[in-house]
Amino acid sequence: MLTYFIQRLVYVVPVALGVSVFCFLLVHIAPGDPLTAVMPIDATAEQQAAMRAAYGFDKPLPVQFLVWLGNALAGDLGNSIATGRPVAGEVMRAVGNTLILAFAASLIGFSLGILFGFIAGYFKDTPIDRAVTALSITGVSVPNYWLGIVLVVIFSVMLGWLPSTGAGPGGSSAWRWDVEHLRFIVLPAVTLSVVPMGIVARTVRALVGDVLSQDFVTALAAKGMGRAGILRHVMRNVAPTTLSVVGLQLGYLLGGSILIETVFNWPGTGFLLSNAIFQRDLPLLQGTILVLALFFVFVNLLVDLVQPLVDPRIKRT
Amino acid sequence: MIWKFLRGAALAALPAAAIAAAPVDAFAAGTLRIGMTASDIPLTTGQTDQGGEGMRFMGYTLYDALVNWDLGSAEKPSVLTPGLAVEWGVDEADKTKWTFKLREGVTFHDGSAFNAEAVVWNLDKLLKEDSEQYDPRQAAQGKSRIPAVSSYKAVDDLTLEIVTREPDATLPYQLAWIMMSSPANWETQGKDWEKVASSPSGTGPWKLDSFVPRERAELVPNPDYWDGTRVPKLDRLVLLPLPEPNARSAALMSGQVDWIEAPAPDLVPALEGNGFQIVSNTLPHNWTWHLSRLEGSPWNDLNVRKAANLAIDRESMKQLLGGLMVPAKGFLPPSSQWFGKPEFDVRYDPEEAKRLLTEAGHGPDNRLKVKALISPSGSGQMLPLPMNEFIQQNLAEVGIDVEFEVVEWNTMINIWRAGAESENALGTQSINFSYFIQDPFTGLIRHLSCDLIAPNGTNWGHYCDPEMDALFKEIRNTFDPEAQDEVMRRTHEKYVNEALFLMVTHDVAPRALSPKVKGFVQAQNWFQDFAPITIEE
Amino acid sequence: MSVTAKTTINIAREEISDSSRGYWREVFQRLRRDPVAMACGTLILLLLAAVIFAPWIGLQDPVTGSMIQRLKPVGTPGHVLGTDELGRDMLSRLVYGGRLTLMLGLLPVLFALVIGTALGVFAGYAGGIFNTVIMRVVDVFFAFPSILLAIAISGALGAGIVNSLVSLTIVFIPPITRVAESVTASVRSLEYVDAARISGAGPLTVVRVHVLGNVLSPIFVYATSLTSVSMILAAGLSFLGLGVRPPEPEWGLMLNTLRTAIYIDPLIAALPGVMIFLTSLCLNLLSDGLRSAMNVKD
Repeated sequence: MLTYFIQRLVYVVPVALGVSVFCFLLVHIAPGDPLTAVMPIDATAEQQAAMRAAYGFDKPLPVQFLVWLGNALAGDLGNSIATGRPVAGEVMRAVGNTLILAFAASLIGFSLGILFGFIAGYFKDTPIDRAVTALSITGVSVPNYWLGIVLVVIFSVMLGWLPSTGAGPGGSSAWRWDVEHLRFIVLPAVTLSVVPMGIVARTVRALVGDVLSQDFVTALAAKGMGRAGILRHVMRNVAPTTLSVVGLQLGYLLGGSILIETVFNWPGTGFLLSNAIFQRDLPLLQGTILVLALFFVFVNLLVDLVQPLVDPRIKRT
Repeated sequence: MIWKFLRGAALAALPAAAIAAAPVDAFAAGTLRIGMTASDIPLTTGQTDQGGEGMRFMGYTLYDALVNWDLGSAEKPSVLTPGLAVEWGVDEADKTKWTFKLREGVTFHDGSAFNAEAVVWNLDKLLKEDSEQYDPRQAAQGKSRIPAVSSYKAVDDLTLEIVTREPDATLPYQLAWIMMSSPANWETQGKDWEKVASSPSGTGPWKLDSFVPRERAELVPNPDYWDGTRVPKLDRLVLLPLPEPNARSAALMSGQVDWIEAPAPDLVPALEGNGFQIVSNTLPHNWTWHLSRLEGSPWNDLNVRKAANLAIDRESMKQLLGGLMVPAKGFLPPSSQWFGKPEFDVRYDPEEAKRLLTEAGHGPDNRLKVKALISPSGSGQMLPLPMNEFIQQNLAEVGIDVEFEVVEWNTMINIWRAGAESENALGTQSINFSYFIQDPFTGLIRHLSCDLIAPNGTNWGHYCDPEMDALFKEIRNTFDPEAQDEVMRRTHEKYVNEALFLMVTHDVAPRALSPKVKGFVQAQNWFQDFAPITIEE
Repeated sequence: MSVTAKTTINIAREEISDSSRGYWREVFQRLRRDPVAMACGTLILLLLAAVIFAPWIGLQDPVTGSMIQRLKPVGTPGHVLGTDELGRDMLSRLVYGGRLTLMLGLLPVLFALVIGTALGVFAGYAGGIFNTVIMRVVDVFFAFPSILLAIAISGALGAGIVNSLVSLTIVFIPPITRVAESVTASVRSLEYVDAARISGAGPLTVVRVHVLGNVLSPIFVYATSLTSVSMILAAGLSFLGLGVRPPEPEWGLMLNTLRTAIYIDPLIAALPGVMIFLTSLCLNLLSDGLRSAMNVKD
């Protein structure tokens, strides 16, 4: 088990490095001189020279990468072109807000998804199953940003029940987990949870159906085990795969919130990204994507580490 | 129409909903929350970014200029009024030498005194690149506003002398752009503009209380403001960037804000039906395509320029905007005192447009292709995407195919400063800009003067015509207002006769206000005074 | 909307079988007994026909309109599905919009299918250092949630149809490569493949006869579901201003520009969204049908 953990941990290093290389290259695949991609347009010649030296644009690519990586490790992701503020600070503030939203959305999406999946799998091939399947396939088929717009029209404008924009009455810096603030998170979180709910429900349904159709369940039932006992068995068998799907979906929630955050003006990383795109603010784009991707790598690692602990079948050595 | 749909769907009895929804946020009485069109909080350190909207909400609120705009009247065009300078005048013998008498006893929000040294310090902040307080970000915004300024010095504590490069009667207008921030505060904040941004200090009627980048800014009154009549009555002013028109209207209708800038015209009837006030007023504003005159630009051909101007169906566009626009008859609004009597009649005449294009050597098999820079939102940009798409259609009908480059508003401002020749202009041959055209300089001179060719100034298209320059020189040298008006008229006639811009429309600056908002007087200006406003629950 | 690694691996564990003409006939027979999949397949085919033959079915010009005719409701004579915010015929724009939208759904998957299969088969067959290099690079791309990857690449490259195609193709190559690699690796180790190799069959023959036959069916099923993901991603890119540019009709972009109309004529504003939803739903259901008809495990 320990070897597996160590292997897994070591394996993260090249992936994280690869992710950094990719993010580094983003500035270079952009059309035009990379220098103009990371500079305000009206920068003076001296500023440009200073920037060229700081980024090492006159040096070969690998050297540039090392300079950039060194800066990034020291917490310096460059400055936003549009605002002149350090990217690291902007991203860190935004990541917190995205995590709040992702947490709320996963609470809704995963619990409902697992619940629906379980019900559908348990009553496989009944009308209940078909209804749940229809619901989950709808979840993955609907463009969620559009759903968000529709929800705003209904619940904010027509009914006036929920706020349509922003992260709390005093902005995200004053975020608290109370009713007044939670009202702001309802619409974006529900919108965001629809896709993961559909995917989780589908996976769990298939898994539960599979486990229930296996011989050992029939055997357990024959031995006189009650419904609750069997369900416990099913759960234990379904848990590991569900966990890994949930882990992947968590990554989706972090990255996929870009459109939702834009619709709801939720000041997270997605909102930052769409600003970066409109303003062609490549340092901001680069920094945000780097942080998100590394976070995703970390979540996957966590899932991989936890999975063997809950999986009764796998005994890794 | 949606309301009908709603009742049909039996969802809600709507007319009451918008009002009933108002107390969504529990806020103290006297808090005014405004949804801006900008995508970020304007720069707070003094010279703001985000165009005219930035100055409106973060410039004239926190700061003062030496010369302010009088924003007290809705009926007559706004005029200049003493700000931090009480009087000014040009030397009779040397028409480049101006003297400004400063207001006595004014203090910045941090308690430090305002004096002539502070003005010099602020001008250095924008113009003197080797000064310690030089701020490239503020300079980028402010430098191009005061091209006339050559040198300046403090004569005594309350007397300032400014020397212009050449005689320039428009200096006071130029100085009305320049905001005075506190030198002492900059010292206190460790000489770091980034730190000043979160606790700035000006002399204005409002003080910045808190500010979260990209999210919100909260302003509170400055009870010690030097003009007692302009001390704000509100407790608090909250500014929220809501660039997307739909999100802005939704925020107003769901009671999250009390005031939105530029409501989507389509929503105006619905908003009015639900008790919201729509206010608008003539605005010295121009929504135009500033044309590139670089070598190889198709807009160098007068016939092409005239054809494009005749191709636009402005009356139909007015419908698109719910009537909230004044169709262009020239570069300045038709009601302007400087409009004159141009010979070229800007109208909708596609047949004549086609004829002119044929004359220019274009036809059905040789369609003209142009590349245009536009932005999806922005201060004074009205509804840029549908409007530009509409223009694209209009031009296509006469034989001009338009390809768009869409960039965010602040980026576009930067490209506007950088000029058509800059690599960042992406090879576009026009930039869709909305201009503040309140005074001779911002209205006419800055767009086409040879010595202001970008990046030295804001002559984006690199236009240069000695005849035009002679007119500009005459404006600058005519210190008698009436005579100056006459030169302005002749200049504008040349603008129109030579179709130097794609002249499309003028805005009426619509804003939608909750019925709770009382006491607002919309001045005929880009800037507004928030002091007399109150909120009644 | 996300491409999950898990599905990939599960598909790859499908029983290795030699494909033949009989197999495909059987699949089709089974599919015919699945009414939902058949209905969806028919709908997709109809839509494809409509968008392919769009210029010849008497539609109005999707790009020009008249401001006087703007936002006419559904059912207006001359405009069966009404008009948009610039007075352009909605039916025509939806059909022409479907062209770009479907193209952005299908082409990236098709490109990724070719490139990904080639890479995966090569990695799986060649093994060793090639395998390690290719698969580690694939791992790096897997570290990005798909939409984030698409936005990153599109954001750096800038807006435009070609750039969207490029970024979406890059998004789909890694998962397809993984499936192909894992199937190839397991086929390669089978005894009869070994036997074929020993008896002198060149690597190309082995790949063509034994590997591709096994790799294609799970990949095909997987690709069908990716098409819907690709379409929604592409619409999302346009929605952000990174995809198709005006005045080209594209469903995501139409959804964006019709946003304000939601308060005037909600039905018109909803139409592009409904189209995206229906198409994506059909693609998903069809993919499900194919999956069970081909006996690919979920």
